[in-house]
Amino acid sequence: MTSKKKKGFHVDESELLCKNGCGYYGNPGWQGFCSKCYREVYQKAKDAQLESDSLRKQRLAALQGPAVTANGETTLKFNKFEEKRKQHQAPKAKTVKTLFKKGSASPNKEVPHPWTGKRQPSIESEKAASDFIEFLNTLRKPAAQDITKQCKALIDRLQDQYELSVEEQSDIVQDFYQNMGERLQTHSAFKGASAEQYETMMEHMEKYMITRLYKILFCPPTCDDEQKDLAIQNRIRRLHWISAEMLDADIDSTKPSVIDYIEKAQTDIIEMNSGRSPIDKLLCIVRCSKNIFQVLNISRGQPASADDFLPVLIYIVLKANPPQLHSNIQYITRFANPNKLNQGEVGYYFTNLCCAVTFIENLDAQSLSMSQEEYDSYMSGEVIPAGTKFGEPICEGLRLMYANLATLDELRIRQDRLRENALSLQQEIKDFRDSVVKTVQDVLTTKPFIIQQPRMPANLDEENAAESSLLPPPLKPEVVAK
Amino acid sequence: MAAGGTGSAKSFNFKVVLLGEGAVGKTSVVLRYVENKFNEKHISTLQASFLTKKLNIGGKRVNLAIWDTAGQERFHALGPIYYRDSNGAILVYDITDEDSFQKVKNWVKELRKMLGNDIALCIAGNKIDLEKERHVPVADAESYAASVGAKHFHTTAKLNKGIEEMFLDLSKRMIERQSEDTHKSTTTSRSNRTKTVTIVDDEPEQPSGGGCCGSS
Ligand SMILES: Nc1nc2c(ncn2[C@@H]2O[C@H](COP(=O)(O)OP(=O)(O)O)[C@@H](O)[C@H]2O)c(=O)[nH]1
Ligand SMILES: [Mg+2]
Repeated sequence: MTSKKKKGFHVDESELLCKNGCGYYGNPGWQGFCSKCYREVYQKAKDAQLESDSLRKQRLAALQGPAVTANGETTLKFNKFEEKRKQHQAPKAKTVKTLFKKGSASPNKEVPHPWTGKRQPSIESEKAASDFIEFLNTLRKPAAQDITKQCKALIDRLQDQYELSVEEQSDIVQDFYQNMGERLQTHSAFKGASAEQYETMMEHMEKYMITRLYKILFCPPTCDDEQKDLAIQNRIRRLHWISAEMLDADIDSTKPSVIDYIEKAQTDIIEMNSGRSPIDKLLCIVRCSKNIFQVLNISRGQPASADDFLPVLIYIVLKANPPQLHSNIQYITRFANPNKLNQGEVGYYFTNLCCAVTFIENLDAQSLSMSQEEYDSYMSGEVIPAGTKFGEPICEGLRLMYANLATLDELRIRQDRLRENALSLQQEIKDFRDSVVKTVQDVLTTKPFIIQQPRMPANLDEENAAESSLLPPPLKPEVVAK
Repeated sequence: MAAGGTGSAKSFNFKVVLLGEGAVGKTSVVLRYVENKFNEKHISTLQASFLTKKLNIGGKRVNLAIWDTAGQERFHALGPIYYRDSNGAILVYDITDEDSFQKVKNWVKELRKMLGNDIALCIAGNKIDLEKERHVPVADAESYAASVGAKHFHTTAKLNKGIEEMFLDLSKRMIERQSEDTHKSTTTSRSNRTKTVTIVDDEPEQPSGGGCCGSS
């Protein structure tokens, strides 16, 4: 039972890994490949897309005015593409980074770099770009032009300055949010817009820019995000034995609807990894949280407070073991618009997720209110918690088995009752028949059955010789005395 | 860090955290404040962990985001993650429970250490409907609050006393702080690191012509 890869959930880890078996995480957005393999496999499709990409570029350029026309950049890019792709396959080692740092000292623009984003935009980028253009079309021209210009400047800057640390990248993006927020309020191009319109503008910019820069900004090789991802993943794996009860999570898993919401919440938190922009990722966390409140609502029937919510969230994170958890949290922290993140409901749920992860990282015997020996024995796998009765699904199959056993038990009881009832009915029928027979007999004995002669019409005049012979002779009148 | 930093919109967004031991009445206080309900079955919200309230204080629009925190002992260490970037904190204790008052003192110490005077504090002595069972003397509580620069309120979620006043007072103090801050912070908050120019400036712009909205 322990050796079995437990997920308590129908997403198997193998499904999360790249289909090519390279060991990296795959992504549904990349048809189950990791980014690298996907790029290789879909190379051909990509080549074809180059053309449509250049068209899109022209549309963006048209919006921006004649300053940036579709120059030779696209063809140049195409020539370099093969070469860049090869470099991508080089291990992302720090030594490589320093090597290129030196290279960049000489102003040789021809040196291509593996981390610069000047390459094929991903499908998500394409989608983000077309959404963005659609949004820009709803704005007045000066506003659209200014937004386009500012976004392009930021994207170019981050794509060019590959030597930046992730903190510096974050600072640049955060400064952009602040400055752009102020610009929207003060610049003449945006005059007359409402507070909500400012907000949607900021949201669209964030979504477009950060999605475009995803490859550069998410889990960059310049920091230790990836190691930390693996560390937390292994940690959660080692904590597989923790039950909802140990966390005081109020989960009534005997109810099928609760199991349903638990599974949805797990799916949501796993999906966080496939979102491209911080907003997309945050929405996954919000969905997960809402599903947790459904769970709590079913088992409690009154509004859930933080006391109830956090333990269930921790439980969900432990059971789902979301891929690249650390990277995702860092990515959101670094590149989401802080106005959204610090305030608002979204921020609240994100903060709770951070709390859950911190709790898991520091969890010890004391935080589960158990003795050190008990904790150690679970950690070493010597003992399986006894509490895993049928309120605590160990895995989907076992849970089903328990549920089925319970149903069978109930069926047996009902069948027994049915047989009893049938027997007693049979008895009753028999008794009834007996009692009828008895009554009949009684009546028969007490009141013998006499068949009366059919009545003959009486013939009064008829003389019956035999009869009359038995009769005494008729009395003769006699004179007794005078 | 509040969006209220853009003071020109005349709308303040404040984050307020609720801190205190389990069962002192944090959830009850906030549900009374936001929904005006106590221990009732029919409460419209599915959750009482994140609630908002809109106020209008002297023409200033204020949006309060009230963050409930998990009060169990095992989550105590997570406090700093919860109260990061908050503008105000309400520290609740139960007047019948000496221990819960001690916990409030610990929180105050921690908050002052981590956030200094950036945060407005309220201490709520809750459940004053149980005055007969009081275990925390009024004088002690009030003098302690004064000594740490917090305001003390006597509240009961059950009878709805003191709660409205507390949130109103807290909001006013947060507005004061924010107004002071915006003068300073616009220049200080980000300038202490290498200023990165992230906005491309226009070619010298004509002074925005007086008539606004003319171009819409
Ligand atoms: N008598 C009385 N009971 C209260 C008051 N406020 C809360 N309670 C009760 O105290 C218990 C804990 O309240 P709760 O709001 O869940 O505390 P929390 O754990 O701090 O959120 C509940 O049974 C409430 O009914 C109050 O003002 N007076
Ligand atoms: Mg509570």
